[in-house]
Amino acid sequence: MGLLALLRKLHSSPTHEMRILLLGLDNAGKTTLLKQLASEDVSFVTPTIGFNVKSVQSKGFKLNVWDIGGQREIRPYWRNYFENTDVLIYVIDSTDEKRFLETSQELYNLLEEDKLANVPLFIFANKQDLVAATNVGDIAERLKLCNIRERQWQIQPCSALTGAGIQEGMEWLCKNMAIKKKKK
Amino acid sequence: MEPIEQPIINKVTNTEDPIEIATHDFSLNWMLLKDSETGKVLWEGKEDMSIPGQVHIAEVPKSILECKSVSRTLNFSSKRALTNFRIVQRVMFQDQLLEGWSFKFGFVIPNSTNSWEQVIEAAGEGHMLPAEMLSGNVLIQTDFYDENTIISASRVRIFYV
Repeated sequence: MGLLALLRKLHSSPTHEMRILLLGLDNAGKTTLLKQLASEDVSFVTPTIGFNVKSVQSKGFKLNVWDIGGQREIRPYWRNYFENTDVLIYVIDSTDEKRFLETSQELYNLLEEDKLANVPLFIFANKQDLVAATNVGDIAERLKLCNIRERQWQIQPCSALTGAGIQEGMEWLCKNMAIKKKKK
Repeated sequence: MEPIEQPIINKVTNTEDPIEIATHDFSLNWMLLKDSETGKVLWEGKEDMSIPGQVHIAEVPKSILECKSVSRTLNFSSKRALTNFRIVQRVMFQDQLLEGWSFKFGFVIPNSTNSWEQVIEAAGEGHMLPAEMLSGNVLIQTDFYDENTIISASRVRIFYV
């Protein structure tokens, strides 16, 4: 399922414009994931110093996916992109064990933001194709994800490079973006 | 993204006039047209397409008109922080507006390089003008604003070859 297919499935939603926000530490694989979502070549990806936006439109419906750079100097600017977010996708490099604490702190900072209150959260535990990857259960424990309250959330192992696990993520997005809208 | 329904005739008739703009440390790095189904690159503009007063030429394969969906990517850099950045894009056939979009980005990080890709579904068979008629008559106008101040503009004339 590419972004256009996701958008077509979302047509039942009453809102005409959807916004997905992709965040995570630098080198987590956000841009590769975005390219994979759009069925693009993932072999040439460079660090994002700014944002990459993909806009898909079909029959009057619009989906905008925002990938914001994750380098430490850029993170203070993340807050400029929270408004009107329908789903937050948080990407973790599963091989970067020494930064699990850092990534969990950034994630919990996000969850405390008013503008992201109640926004469904989907976590991709990326780079699962590498042998050094920590499994998803251990990541959930290390990041104490069971403490997340008052929002839909899910963690999914994936490889943005090979595409494994991405489909499951798209299906979850489909379901939970629609649910959130119905509640409004 | 909001469709621009009413063409602003006064503004678009003089599309090839030199545009007096302040560049504000803003640059348009590259533009790309792709068949979004196959990912095949149909046209790539690597020069700065935002040189004021200059109409750039893009030679695009005719087959683009048969694509079910086309993706257009813009890559741009800004040295300054922009508070309310937006892009207004118009696709003109002679003096007539074929399609127009405005996209509000909001904040732009200082010293950043950013990209925007739009995937657009084709109007469908029977809604497309023939390549011979379009070629050289289609102009893509892209205007870059911070709030209401124009900071850059690009004019690209499309030839279907």
